[in-house]
Amino acid sequence: MMNILIQGLALSGLYALVAVGFTMIFSVGRVLNLAHGVFLMLGGYAYYSAVQVFGVSKGLGILLAVLVGVAFGVLTCAILVRRLEHNPIAVEIATLILAVVMQALIVLVYTSAPKSMWPIVSGVFRYEGVFVSHNILAAMVVSWIALGGLLVFVRRTRLGRALRAVSMDRKGAVISGVDPHRMSLATWAISGALAALAGVFFATYTQLTPGMWVAPLIIAVAVVVVGGIGSIVGSLVVAHLIGFMETVTTTLVAAELRGVFTMVLIIVVLIIAPKGLFGREEL
Amino acid sequence: MAGLAKPLLGWLAFGVVMCLLPAFVSTGTVRILIFANFLAIFAMSWDVISGRTGYISFGHPFLIGIAAYTTAMLTYHLDTPLWLSIPAGVLATLVGGTLFFLPALRIRGTYFALVTLAFMELMYQLTQVIAPKITGGTRGLSGIPTLVSGAIPNYYLTFGLTFAIGLGLWFVLRTRVGAALAAIRMDEGAVAASGLSTIRLKLFAFMTSAAVAGIGGAFYVHYLGSIAPRGLFDISFLFTILVAALLGGSATIAGPILGAYFLTFLLEYLRPFLPGPERYVIYGTIALVVYVLEPRGLHAIFHAAFRAAAGWLLPSRASSGGASP
Repeated sequence: MMNILIQGLALSGLYALVAVGFTMIFSVGRVLNLAHGVFLMLGGYAYYSAVQVFGVSKGLGILLAVLVGVAFGVLTCAILVRRLEHNPIAVEIATLILAVVMQALIVLVYTSAPKSMWPIVSGVFRYEGVFVSHNILAAMVVSWIALGGLLVFVRRTRLGRALRAVSMDRKGAVISGVDPHRMSLATWAISGALAALAGVFFATYTQLTPGMWVAPLIIAVAVVVVGGIGSIVGSLVVAHLIGFMETVTTTLVAAELRGVFTMVLIIVVLIIAPKGLFGREEL
Repeated sequence: MAGLAKPLLGWLAFGVVMCLLPAFVSTGTVRILIFANFLAIFAMSWDVISGRTGYISFGHPFLIGIAAYTTAMLTYHLDTPLWLSIPAGVLATLVGGTLFFLPALRIRGTYFALVTLAFMELMYQLTQVIAPKITGGTRGLSGIPTLVSGAIPNYYLTFGLTFAIGLGLWFVLRTRVGAALAAIRMDEGAVAASGLSTIRLKLFAFMTSAAVAGIGGAFYVHYLGSIAPRGLFDISFLFTILVAALLGGSATIAGPILGAYFLTFLLEYLRPFLPGPERYVIYGTIALVVYVLEPRGLHAIFHAAFRAAAGWLLPSRASSGGASP
């Protein structure tokens, strides 16, 4: 029981971080970024190259990964999304194609063999017969810090408020002097940073493979679809729902079935309540 | 029927050229063409839902896989004859198509694409976990009987299918039904407001698409002789179908066929330089560039080029370029 609680909490924290950038992009730009999983993958591979190939320190490795995420986010927005902005479905298709291209590029550079990552924080936490790796706990703490920072940023800073303004009413924001193009660039940069950070931890939790972008993308889609597309708080709640359901399925039913619940959740919610269980809030 | 002669002539020319082709090319090329034919069928199927009505399907491998798995399991476990198992597979796909259709009643655009993607991923996981003795689990099934053997017979079989499906779809979609489906893509509310049942029209498009996907999937598995969840319920497979239709030109019949042949040969010619999945870098980049610059695809580019050439050669007749199939 305790095991499920701790594992679930840690996993959910990570999932929240995985999904939050995806939510932000949808909320501000009204487009779905199906290359979101690729942001995580690039973060993971950047960290791997820096730390395990070139022997850079772990902190610097994470920083590099985040920078790669920011750069890729900004490039995707400026080169690809900007041209298709009027057409959300075109963005969806284009980012999916981009994701497959990036996957192939990763194969080209790193081969398709899986790479195992060293834990960022080694050691195991023991409590009443429960074993949890320090690594996943670190992932949870980092994700809470990042998400807390994001909430403060969105609510308290000028840039954050401008982002919210664009997500609430684009025309109104333009009239008040907010440049929506600049805002969407900022959103893609933030989203890239958060996703790359999540990717470093996600890769240490699972494995580094060129196909690893699909799983986090599905999680992000589920979190956002069920949480009401575009709502940060709803996303947090659903990240925990999915994280706990996966932990329960893995521990009590069968490890192979853990993804099934997520998929069924997406299908059922979109058919029955297309606006999500928590309705649509703004950021 | 003044407008009919020219496209029919185009179909005839296409059929004759493709029928004569095996006499001039190597067996290796014929085998590539077989894959191109299958991809053309899948791309046409995708295009009936997504290109025409604008309901983007990210789960087409789901439909193809249902037919493929149904007929594979029937022949593998029960020794069902192929003339019975293939229609059974297509029928199963129609049931799966109904499942696909349910979300289309309520949601569209980005959300619809997400549901279909979830269907495909769900299927990927379920085939591995549920009853692995019947589905073959992660490894899948192999040793499935093939319909005909040898490159040339398979080529004629698959080309016959491609040609019949293409011609059939062309005949159906050039009617008012086709126009109504295109109108759904532009403004679904307006179609409903003009007294047409969008539900019935969409159901028609989905069932047609599912039937084509089912036929393609069933014959595909009996060509390959094996089936496995990886590679079938896979984003790369979806990507190939989607790119073939989009690159060739969606909402046309010639477009998906053109895209399928173009892409299959591109992949084959890249093989000496990039043997593995790295080929997708070039393939995907071309697709992305064409899609961003000309969303209507190669079909439109060729058309424009043809017209420009015609206008340059015969200035007086420049405006009479007919619609190709």
